[in-house]
Order: sequence, then structure tokens, then C-alpha cells
Amino acid sequence: MRAYLTTIIEGGTESFDLEIVEAASGFEALKTLPHHKFDAILTDINMPDINGLELVSFLKNHPVHRSIPIMVISTESREEDRKRAAALGAEEYLVKPFQAKDLIEKLRRLLKVA
Amino acid sequence: MPPMSKEDDRARDEFTGEAEELLDTLSRDLVELESQGRKVRPEVINKIFREVHSLKGLAGMLGFGEISELSHSLEDMLDRLRMGKIEITKDLIDLLYDAVDSLNRLVIGINDPTMGGLVDITGLTRRIHQLTTSQPRRAHEDPFAELTLDEQTKKSLTEYEEHRLLENVKGRKHILAVEVRFDFSDFDEKLRALTATLGEAGEVISTLPAIDSSGGAGIAFRLLYGSTLQEDAVAALVPEGQVVSLRKAKSPASGAREVIAVEVPEEDLSLRSISQTVRVDISKLDHVMNIVGELIIEKTQLDSLTRSLHQGEALQQARLTAHELTKIARNFDRKLNELQKSVIETRMVPVGQIYSKLSRTVRKVARELNKEIELVLRGEDTELDKVMVEELTDPLMHIIRNALDHGIESAEERARKGKNPIGKVTLNAYQQGNSVVLDVTDDGRGIDPELVRKSAVKRNLIAQHDPFDQQRAYEMLFTPGFSTAAAVSEISGRGVGLDVVKKNLQDLKGSIDILSVPGEGATFRIMLPITLAIIQALIVRAAGEQFAIPLTSVEESLRIYSRDIRTVERREVFTLRDFTLPLLRLADAFHLDGHRDETPDSKWFVVVTRSGEKVAGILVDELVRQQEVVIKSIGERLKTIPGIAGATEVGEGEIVLVIDVGTLIDQFGGKAREARAAVLA
Repeated sequence: MRAYLTTIIEGGTESFDLEIVEAASGFEALKTLPHHKFDAILTDINMPDINGLELVSFLKNHPVHRSIPIMVISTESREEDRKRAAALGAEEYLVKPFQAKDLIEKLRRLLKVA
Repeated sequence: MPPMSKEDDRARDEFTGEAEELLDTLSRDLVELESQGRKVRPEVINKIFREVHSLKGLAGMLGFGEISELSHSLEDMLDRLRMGKIEITKDLIDLLYDAVDSLNRLVIGINDPTMGGLVDITGLTRRIHQLTTSQPRRAHEDPFAELTLDEQTKKSLTEYEEHRLLENVKGRKHILAVEVRFDFSDFDEKLRALTATLGEAGEVISTLPAIDSSGGAGIAFRLLYGSTLQEDAVAALVPEGQVVSLRKAKSPASGAREVIAVEVPEEDLSLRSISQTVRVDISKLDHVMNIVGELIIEKTQLDSLTRSLHQGEALQQARLTAHELTKIARNFDRKLNELQKSVIETRMVPVGQIYSKLSRTVRKVARELNKEIELVLRGEDTELDKVMVEELTDPLMHIIRNALDHGIESAEERARKGKNPIGKVTLNAYQQGNSVVLDVTDDGRGIDPELVRKSAVKRNLIAQHDPFDQQRAYEMLFTPGFSTAAAVSEISGRGVGLDVVKKNLQDLKGSIDILSVPGEGATFRIMLPITLAIIQALIVRAAGEQFAIPLTSVEESLRIYSRDIRTVERREVFTLRDFTLPLLRLADAFHLDGHRDETPDSKWFVVVTRSGEKVAGILVDELVRQQEVVIKSIGERLKTIPGIAGATEVGEGEIVLVIDVGTLIDQFGGKAREARAAVLA
């Protein structure tokens, strides 16, 4: 899944210079944070260690990371989860399954690139 | 059908690799689900759900329609299952197996089209649909009504976590917030360890990370935890953290706690129609175990029959029969092992069952002795045969009382010595191979060999100038009628000494040893076999008889000649590498005839046996074979002979005696080797 996302993003964002950092779990995501200056974060809701909502909650309450825009990716059947992501401050929400162009479009919006 | 460009070839390979891996773990998790049924931990179901979810996502993205379709409906069903909307039934588990089997075929079918065609997706999805919709949706219930839960945590719960919280609330679990702070460098390890610990007595429902408010470079976490344990018990598990109960207090006047405690069983009954555990009379289990034992004997006969067929000057046909028999015996063996294992497992209980009893005793005794004691209990999940756990309570209690009474000094004395005035007693249980070890460690005055010697001389147990060393001192403590305490106190009592403790443990085929550094403390180490019922044994021949030596007591066996045997201080010994190994002959130990004519070239086998820290070599004529034996008790008359644990049948009705290495070594002498004294470090 991650590899696939990476492939789509790399394919769709060739025009601007994007470095992608992958994290396999919520903990990995937390661990990688201090080592980069991220312009956007994409997260699933269902993941090992900590869930995507908890990650959003952490980021949006963090003095340094709160300004990083976040896109939450999750399944259609989870309306409630989607509302919560928004309430916690996630900027975008992408429903699985999705089209590659939707992902790229939302990502461009998130990164504020035309 | 997925498109087939070159780029897609790579994607396809990646997909099949990842999908096969997923299906592999999925199958293993299904086995766990099946074996535990309704008792299964919710995490297992959630994990299965996630695996199917990942597979669905993967297949959907890459355009493998059938796999995506099947895993999608499977995911729906699993989602309902984890949300408690449908129940675990045999049908459901069968269906899961069928579906995973079909998914496997579909994945293989990507590269081998002859396989994929065999899958009936429509039939499967119909079955899944039927099962998914068979049970009505439950009304939404509010899990937060009885809780004081902060908004941030509430908002960060996924629907699934909210459901788990509700289940815990309804199950009358204690709902607690556990707040911890870790260094950023290793928080993941620490938190996983903590989650595992907490998981043993409950369920970690969610894990909310937060900024380290202490201003340090760490990270904080707020765990939502549902547990059978109360606030203070959890606090003891998480000494570095803060634990807060989230249940709103009931009406102020009520003695709410007691009332809840009484209500619990009823609540549980009404919530679950089918009980998750069965109470079984231990005698019934004994009976099943006996059947297993008899099966093992039958099997041994099958083996020996096969052997004789193999060896016979038989026709080709007989050899083939022998070959077939071997195969049957092997399968028989496998099944038997399975049966044995599962029966043994039903007999197993965690030693933690007696921990609460022990900590009550410690509190009481400490109060009586006017000593402040910290009791640390570890390894409560270590499992042991139920019968043994019960038999273990008294000896453990005795050792712990001794530690409090004789080991731990008074607060003043401790302060004088620069020790923490609060004495510490640790009980640690852990498994080591086929044994369970229980260490009772105190940080008291330790065992001073000189004091022991003086006391022994005073009691005429030894003469003034008898050779004496640390090992001898430890042995002395287990001698009947020995006590070093200047005044025999109420606590340790007078009638029962450590000799009785040792005897009790030996009856359980266990051993006890002491490790001590004078002035720093002592460890009493109890070793017990996990179960008594069936053991692996080495069958040997000595003095014309066969004997069974439990394999757990055997360190190694080697071949020597009579000329290698030396006599030192009237004892036969053999130099094993750089260690002088005392030897014993079964003919002498059991007063048997059958001494053979010995020349310097006579060959012997030495079976090096260990009991606790002591080793000795048993001289035998022949190593016959290794096999499982069922120990049967023997008549009262033979019971009194030291060195015999019981009898067993080794096929064709031949009865052999099972050697009790512990008492044999005690009676006829062994020698300490490699005393592991590092425990106190």
C-alpha cells in the first residue's frame, strides 16, 4: 500500500521536487518527525501502534508540527472517523478506494501548489 | 483481468509477494482464533481484520478484481465481528478458512491460471453476505456516559476503539487512564513493552501521544486501559507513570465498590450467553491423562513390534509392512503429542494465582515483626501444573517467612549498614526449558557459613573439626532440627524446618538450592518440572536391570573404561574435562546383585545427572533408548527407598523403576558445580 502510494505520488508530482518519507506504523511516523521538515503528511486511520486520529491529535497540538497540513486516508464506511479527523484539524480526507488523480489533486491543494 | 505491461509485471510480482505474506500470517491468526474461540483476545480479530483490509486495498489498487471483491466482503464481515455485531461461530470460522483458501488460490492463479479458475467467488460472497446480515445491528450505546474522559481522547478514538471501550465498560472492567513519559530515543520499545504488560491483565484501548509537558526531549502517552485490575494495582505495574480511574463515582452515599463486586458475575452472565471457560474436576483431567499414558504404552509396543520386524530375517513383504508400521507409528506419535500437549495445557495455571495469598502473608508477617518490607512479585504468568501450584504454596510461604524473619535485618540494623531501611523480598517465577524456576531473593544479611557451622556444632549435627564450606552450610540448613535464629520466633515456627520444605519439593520432583553473598542477601531457588505426569526418560541397563532416568536431570552421557575410574577418599570419581565427577553405581545404591567381572578395559557409560546445583555420574552398562514414560506410583514399601520416583511400563509389559535423581544424589553424594552466584549482583 505504502509503496503504491509512493509510486502514485512520485508519478503525479514530477513537476515539483518532492521528497517522500515512508513510515510503516504510527510509532515510526512519530520517530521520523524530528528528522525532517515536512510540507504535508498523509496518514491512514487504521495502523499499528497508534491510529491515524491519534497522530493527527498529536500533530495538531504540537507547537512545531501543528502547521503541517494533513491528509487522512480511510475507507468509505467510516463516516464517524472522517468527522473526527476533521474535528481534530485534519485538512483533507481521501476515501479509499480512490483514483490516482484525486490523490494528486488533494495533495497539490494541501501543498498549495498549482 | 489486470493489465499486463512490463511495468505491471513488476507490480504483479510485488503484489503476489506481499499478498502471499499477508495470507500466510492471516492463516496463522485464524488458527489462533479457532483454537481460542470466543475467548480470543480482541486484538487477534482486529489483526485479522487489518490483514484482510490491507489485502483488499492492495488488490483494489492494482486491479485484481476478484481478490479485491472477495476480500472486500470478507472485510465487511470481519469489521462487524470486531465491532461485536456478529458472533464467533463454527460456521464463521469455517467460512474464514474457506475464504482464505480461495484467496490463496486466486493469488497463485495470478501466475498460474489453472488454479484461479477453481474458485467459486459468487458462492463464497453469498455465504459471507448471509452470515454478515444474519444478526441484527445493535442500537448505538454511549460508552462515555459513565466516564470522565477528556475531549481530545474522545475525538481521537476510532469507531472500533469506541466499540472496545464500550465492551470494557459493559464488562464492568476498570477503565483507567495511564499516563507515561518516555525518552524519544526508545519510546517505541518502552511503550510496546508496557502495552504487552498491561495487555496481560486487560486491554489497551487507545494510545494517544502528547507533547512532553515537562519540557524535556521526551514524549508522553495517554493510554486508555480497560482492566480487571484496580487503579492501585495498575499503578504498581507502571511505577513511572500516572494512573487515574475514569469511572464517574456513583452516588456519593453508596459503598459502591462492594456492590459492584457482588454484581459482577451476574453482569457477565447476562452479557454472554455462553461461558468462556469450563471448570473441570481435576480428577477428570487425571483420567484423561491416564488414557494418554496408556496410549503411550500401546505406542511403545507398536514401536517394539516394528523394530523386531525390521530386524527379522524377513521376506520383502515383511519389510514393507515394517515400513508402513513405522509410518503409522510416526503419525500416531504426532497425534499423541498433540493430545498430550493440550491436556497438559488444560492443567496449567499461572503461578500468579498464589501471589495474592503470598502478599497478604508478607504484609501480616512484616507487621508482626515490625519490619518494613517491599515485596516484588514477578512472572505471575509462568504456568505450572495446577496440582503443583497448590502444593507449592506452603513451601514458598515458608521460605518467604524465613527471609522476612531471619534474612531481612531490623530497620535500625539496615540503616547502620547503609542499606535501605525498607527490606526487599523478590519472588521471580520463570520457565527454563522443561522446568519452572522460582527465586525467592531477599536483600538481608545473607547466609554466613561460620554462623551455620557454630550452630551445627552446638546441635551436635557435626563435629568441631569436620570440614566445612559454603556448600556444606547450605546443606546444613536443610537438615532436620537445624535453626540459626538465636531465639526461635513465632514466625518461622519451630516444628517445621527447611528440611520439610525440601522434602515437599522433592515429592514434586523438584529441587531447592541457595545462592548467597553474606551481608548482601540470599536467593532460594526452587526448580520444578512443569508437569509430573509424563516425562522424557533415558532407559538404561545396569546390574542386569533396566531403569528410567528422567531426561530433565540428564546433562550428558559418555563412554569410559574401568581404568578411567579413580578412587578419591573412598569414593569413585571420574575426571570430566577439569571437573572431578563423583560416580555412583545403581547396583550399590539399590543393593542389587549382578556385579560383573571388571578389567581395566571394561566399558561403561556414565550418565551425568544434575539435581539443582549438584551433579553426579551414574555408571550404567548400556544406554537402551530414549522414550516418553508415564510415571506410576509404586507401593508403600518401595516408596521409602531413596532414589526411586516410581515405576513405568516400557512396552511388552516390562516394568522398570524410574530414578529420582534428586534423592539419589542427596543420599549417595553429588558435587556442586558452576554455582550460579551472579543472581545477587
